[in-house]
Amino acid sequence: MTKVGIDSNLFERARQAATKAGFSSVEELITTAIEKELKRLGEADAEKQVADQLRGLGYIE
Amino acid sequence: MSLDSQIVIVSGLPRSGTSLMMQMLHQGGLTTMTDEIRMADTDNPRGYFEFEQAKKTKQDPSWLAEARGKVVKMVSALLYDLPATESYRVIFMRRDLDEVLESQEKMLARLSRPAAPRHQMKQSFAIHLDRLSQWLLTQSHMNVLEVNFNQLISNPEPEVHRIAEFLDHRPSVEMMINAIDPSLYRNRKPAVSDQ
Repeated sequence: MTKVGIDSNLFERARQAATKAGFSSVEELITTAIEKELKRLGEADAEKQVADQLRGLGYIE
Repeated sequence: MSLDSQIVIVSGLPRSGTSLMMQMLHQGGLTTMTDEIRMADTDNPRGYFEFEQAKKTKQDPSWLAEARGKVVKMVSALLYDLPATESYRVIFMRRDLDEVLESQEKMLARLSRPAAPRHQMKQSFAIHLDRLSQWLLTQSHMNVLEVNFNQLISNPEPEVHRIAEFLDHRPSVEMMINAIDPSLYRNRKPAVSDQ
């Protein structure tokens, strides 16, 4: 397990939000948030690569 | 809603059979909107059936009114640009991604343009298609029929009947089947028995 530093106020807000939203722990909420953001970034990269390919083939401008 | 007041869109990834579908619908008796700017070539010997203005729909969707009751080809990524002020029937072509990429790579080579590594492009197209499919499910102004290119070539009749039904039996089944030329099915993935 790797440790990551996080602002204590943000951590407290995350802990309260995790309890309210039904996460089993604040770690679960943070892990979910990171996975969601990584997926979003991956999708953005993929769409850019698709757009570049379609442009190269002359199907979009 | 009547087909005459809707716009039929043929979509999919480049090299997934969209030009073949346009040819089929044209031969089947539907009116296709094309401008013949992109002429037939080695990659598409029977023509591309493209309409240049479709690429600029986001900036200028005025051509859509004229497209009611007609068929227009638009590459997958452009579907996001179609305004909800019109109603659409979308025929979405699916084809084995390795065959699509094989064909696209040859086309890019002929155009002297670079191609991204196959494995990266395959993953990106898979994400693109998945996101687009999810999005299409939420678009109440779009009815979608997915057609598998590989099945269309290997066993046309059931697929062509599905297409005719989707389009209120307007296009002729017989003429659509006649438009399919298996000799144009290139960049085919080798069957297990061929390897």
